[in-house]
Amino acid sequence: MSAEPIDAGPDVEESGTEDRRRLEWTWKYASGFWGWLCEVDHTRIGKRYVVTSLIFFALGGIEALMMRVQLARPENGFLGPDLYNEIFTTHGSTMMFLFAVPMMLGLGTYFVPLMVGTRNIAFPRLNSFSYFVYLIGGLFLYTAFFLNTGPDAGWFAYVPLSGPQFSPGKRVDVWAQMITFTEISSLAVAANLITTIFKQRAPGMSLNRIPMFVWAMLVTSFMVIFAMPAVMLSSLMLALDRLIDTHFFNPANGGDAILWQHLFWFFGHPEVYIIFIPATGIVSTLLPAFTRREVFGYMALVLSLVATGFIGFGLWVHHMFATGLPQLGASFFTAASIMIAIPSGAQIFCWIATLWGGRLRFQTPLLYVLGFIFTFLIGGLTGVMVAAVPLDLQVHDTFFVVAHFHYVLIGGAVFPLLGGLFYWFPKMTGRMLSEGWGKVSFWLVFLGFNLTFFPMHVLGLHGMPRRVYTYLPETGWGDLNLLSTIGSGVLALGVLIYVINMLSSLVTGAPAGNDPWESDTLEWATSSPPPPYNFLHLPTVSGRSPMWLWREDQPIVTGLRSDRREFLITGLMDAEPDHRQVSPGPTIWPFVLSLGVGLTFIVGIFTPWGLPIGAVPCAIALAAWFWPRGDQGHTVLKEKS
Amino acid sequence: MSPADVMTPRNALDVSGLPTTAFGSRDPLFWGVLSIMAIEGTMFALMAASYFYLRGGARMWPPPGTLHPGVGITTLNLAILIVSVIPMYLAAKAAGREDLPAIRLWLIVSTVLFVAFLVIRGVIFHRFTFRWDSHAYGSLVWTTMVLHTVHVVTGTCENLLFIALLTKGPVEDKHMDDLRLNSMYWYFVVACWIPFYCIFFLDPGLLGASIG
Amino acid sequence: MNGPLVFLLLTNWTGGHSALHPMGPQAGHINDLWWLMFWVCAAVFVLVMVATGFAITRRSLPSGPPGPIPPASRRRMTGAVAGAIGVTVLILFALLIASVSTGRAIASLSSSKAPVIRLTGHQWWWEVEYQDPHPDRMVLTANEIHIPAGRPVLIQLSSNDVIHSFWVPNLHGKRDLIPGHDSEIWIQADKPGIYRGFCAEFCGYQHAHMGLLVIADPPDRFDAWYSAQLQSSVMPATPLQQRGRQLVEASPCAVCHSIQGTQAGGKLGPDLTHLASRRTLAAATLANNRGNLAGWILDPQTVKPGNHMPGNSLGSEDLQAILDYLESLK
Ligand code: HEA
Ligand code: HEA
Ligand code: HEC
Ligand code: CUA
Ligand SMILES: [Cu+2]
Repeated sequence: MSAEPIDAGPDVEESGTEDRRRLEWTWKYASGFWGWLCEVDHTRIGKRYVVTSLIFFALGGIEALMMRVQLARPENGFLGPDLYNEIFTTHGSTMMFLFAVPMMLGLGTYFVPLMVGTRNIAFPRLNSFSYFVYLIGGLFLYTAFFLNTGPDAGWFAYVPLSGPQFSPGKRVDVWAQMITFTEISSLAVAANLITTIFKQRAPGMSLNRIPMFVWAMLVTSFMVIFAMPAVMLSSLMLALDRLIDTHFFNPANGGDAILWQHLFWFFGHPEVYIIFIPATGIVSTLLPAFTRREVFGYMALVLSLVATGFIGFGLWVHHMFATGLPQLGASFFTAASIMIAIPSGAQIFCWIATLWGGRLRFQTPLLYVLGFIFTFLIGGLTGVMVAAVPLDLQVHDTFFVVAHFHYVLIGGAVFPLLGGLFYWFPKMTGRMLSEGWGKVSFWLVFLGFNLTFFPMHVLGLHGMPRRVYTYLPETGWGDLNLLSTIGSGVLALGVLIYVINMLSSLVTGAPAGNDPWESDTLEWATSSPPPPYNFLHLPTVSGRSPMWLWREDQPIVTGLRSDRREFLITGLMDAEPDHRQVSPGPTIWPFVLSLGVGLTFIVGIFTPWGLPIGAVPCAIALAAWFWPRGDQGHTVLKEKS
Repeated sequence: MSPADVMTPRNALDVSGLPTTAFGSRDPLFWGVLSIMAIEGTMFALMAASYFYLRGGARMWPPPGTLHPGVGITTLNLAILIVSVIPMYLAAKAAGREDLPAIRLWLIVSTVLFVAFLVIRGVIFHRFTFRWDSHAYGSLVWTTMVLHTVHVVTGTCENLLFIALLTKGPVEDKHMDDLRLNSMYWYFVVACWIPFYCIFFLDPGLLGASIG
Repeated sequence: MNGPLVFLLLTNWTGGHSALHPMGPQAGHINDLWWLMFWVCAAVFVLVMVATGFAITRRSLPSGPPGPIPPASRRRMTGAVAGAIGVTVLILFALLIASVSTGRAIASLSSSKAPVIRLTGHQWWWEVEYQDPHPDRMVLTANEIHIPAGRPVLIQLSSNDVIHSFWVPNLHGKRDLIPGHDSEIWIQADKPGIYRGFCAEFCGYQHAHMGLLVIADPPDRFDAWYSAQLQSSVMPATPLQQRGRQLVEASPCAVCHSIQGTQAGGKLGPDLTHLASRRTLAAATLANNRGNLAGWILDPQTVKPGNHMPGNSLGSEDLQAILDYLESLK
């Protein structure tokens, strides 16, 4: 099949110039700085998410390099204990809360509406609000960090160390509120994505035709909804313990330190799959494009995702084996942790089958997929090892675990992400990245990564606890640490080249066209970058690979009004057209609300009056946000009096 | 494909005849509200789990010296909350009929009940023999009840907003669905309290030490 | 890059305090489990990578439009994938059994006549108290646990402030010390020797310098050590030591440290009654010699920034007197 029918696809170039002009006008982006604050378009906001989280990735990476420099030699004096503790806590928190999750949700925000073939995300204003709350959380953390008030109790802030007695000052409060900000933001995005996926799929996109990435985002969103309340609740309790002397975690007054661990890990374990599952979605998206075959085992992959989502809620205790649980209970969590290897394995096998059955194009994204298989496999296998209670008792809280989770986080999530960004960059910017530099950066990242983290397994087995700011020369850990530090330099060089490639391609990259990779999903049916209305005519779908299946007589949706932001709502199961709605336009109120929320929680660090003080601007913003303006094209039942 | 082709019925799916409003689970907003309920429901469930976790580890539960704020008053308050579901339900029904005066009437009735509930809850807070900083039991009970009270206050504000809207206009057909979702959310707020009423005020340890 | 091979090379590189150099029965069981898991996982890794290698080097496919996988290959692939999943389930089941039975084995260590040692975690040192029904046969020391080799020992764990974790890789896995949750762990060293331990749970500034030594003695040496520890502190033998003792009793030292038989009875820091019999200072951070001791007493904040002992400005004569005295506390 040539590129022709695709060009003549949903976004028919020559047709409907009049329609196009009107859509252009109706959906046009808000302009200027004020417009930036008001914008509600999902590609704009998705792009913000991606760029912002990349910046946080760079910050987290720089912190990682500082830690590596400090650990390169025994008794090194580069960072003292105070700064080191702040830096590893900020590194972990940044990478988990400000980079990995927002990046995945940001890609979801950008691509889910395109992939399901609709005009905008379900609740565009909520989307704008989510972004600003996330931004405020991130800025708050880093402002505090540079004011020497960065959190220093670890990314899971175990009490009582993080409690009022052992962490006086505001450092831990900053952490707790940053959590609140990012979780509010993630929850809002999750609700938004679920609704978009349920109700806005292109006609014909029944459940069994949903693209794998969209499935992944759906499962992720559900996990967000059931996992994040746990960390919001626990960080609320911690904040209250610190601010108004409640005793949730204070054993002297009936509280319990282990309660914190249960609540945190009830969130914390699903969290790692919240990062990992979208990455698997990216892998399943990249494979068809670079093997020129539909991904093998669609049903198996979907079931694996769903199974992972469910089982993921039954594993949290495997982070707490060393607290001394009853044998039987611990064995249950070992069994559950080991069980989750089955869906992961099933996915890996399906992907290998896809590779086997495909005609491969060894371009950078595919290299990242292969690098992913290699590294994630190692990380997954060490995961199975630490799931065994006896073995975990040895390696828990050592660099072995640090190695495990960087293998799964970087190998399992960042590699697919780098591949995915390479693949989607043309769609988002209209320009191709340089393939040559892409390959160079891949090899540097891949080799540097393994050089950095492989030795950590050995260090852990040889007794090196994690979170130590230095170690004694006689421990014998120096050489492997030096090796690891050198590796992190190589890794950083690779990332730097990747970033430079992105920046320079923005200017000099070859124009991408609509569909440079001849991919199968709908985001490639429109121009690069997509127009604010996404598609001139919403597409309909007749199979799993709409772009590959596109035929001349594939129907397109007509009859949506172009003089207002109208879009199509379809049925949950079979995506049959149901009704039309009008998507709200740009407005300042979500931004104002995010400021109100920010005010509430930031003042809340200092006084319980934060709640009532912040409630006022929040209430005003909400009322203004929802007050009807009669611009939604609804029937008026009672006139304004 | 030429522009003319696009217009032929063979390959166009014309949706111009579809309605512009829909109720219940057909409306995307329904899923948004459902998500919020799932989020908050999880939060309350974890709160209950924490309660039982701490209770399981405690030597005395509730801590010595804790008195029941009154079986009568707490039960009365629960009853008011449950009864308030009726006018909210009737308001939703009226919304289905687009019967604006009836909606407003039922909203006012339910708002009166909400306010009564809040007043009594204030009395209960006042009667507590412990504070949030007395012990972990106090922390849990106070935090849960304040969280729930915030929900009731929010519900009251929403009702007031709707009453204002119905009085002043403009009222659109879309608001009818918002009203129904508002009622749905209220059922959730009520449902959340029932288990906590049982957990907090029917706790055998506490019933033994009743003051009224 | 060949993971397993590199791993093998690396794991034999450093000895000492390694989980892979078991010196007690539990560490031994865990070591066996480790190697079982290591080889199984290595095999899985190699198999999966070989399969991937085959998949990406296969070059026999005709070109054509992108689309679904042809039914013929689909059938073969379904078989292969299903088979692989089946094998995965079997392997995982076997690993689960191995894990649970190892868990049983390490939990089976116990004895009714074992020494009982109460280990209390402090920011950032360990208080060690040997339990005995007779209060005057209890021994209090710090950062160093003597045990009789070849016999099980029960360690009762509790924490005075935040969560710490007791870990001696040669002997056993770790167990947390959690305020409000006392727990216990059995250990045994098969051979006499000195085994380094670490605090494994992050506990604040000086988590990095919260080590301890477990010293396994032959039973008779252990008994001798124990009787020596039961003694009160030695009396000063020289005027300088005498002066040192007076200085310690009169100075802030006594507020935080105890020396039995003197007026020093503080509880905030390690017991110093038999300080000179210990091998290290400041939680296995410094070797216990005169120079280090002097450095520590004058300026503990440089050695362990943030620790809870303040610096002292002492004249050189006073310092020598204190050092002389402390060094006599065998
Ligand atoms: C992307 C994130 C991610 C992913 C995907 C995983 C995946 C897994 N993790 Fe990991 N984990 C983390 C992120 C992640 N983890 C983090 C961040 C921490 C530390 C937090 C902290 O303490 O700071 C952690 C810690 C952690 C612990 C606690 C360790 C400790 O603190 O002592 C445990 C214990 O059970 C564990 C287990 C597992 C298991 C069993 C899997 C499984 O899902 C892996 C399954 C995959 C495979 C096994 C490979 C593919 C399978 C096959 C090819 C089939 C054939 C295989 C066999 C037959 C074995 N993880
Ligand atoms: C997704 C999550 C993620 C990612 C990607 C990383 C990435 C890295 N991590 Fe991190 N790490 C964690 C999550 C993550 N980490 C967590 C959760 C912890 C636990 C924290 C805790 O214990 O509380 C941890 C802890 C941790 C430790 C242990 C600290 C300790 O216990 O004492 C170490 C030590 O080496 C480390 C190293 C690294 C390194 C070298 C990278 C590298 O991969 C980083 C590579 C990236 C770069 C080097 C950035 C390059 C950027 C540039 C060159 C600048 C470009 C400039 C512009 C764009 C302006 N990490
Ligand atoms: C405010 C309390 C305080 C005072 C005063 C104090 N110390 Fe300490 N000391 C400690 C603490 C706490 C430690 C454990 C530090 C650590 O390892 O983190 C310690 C450790 C020591 C050690 C090492 C013990 C070991 O076994 O590792 C010695 C020796 C010591 N102190 C001697 C002294 C002397 C001598 C003085 C007086 C000149 C003194 N201390 C004053 C609190 C104090
Ligand atoms: Cu004590 Cu770490
Ligand atoms: Cu986990």
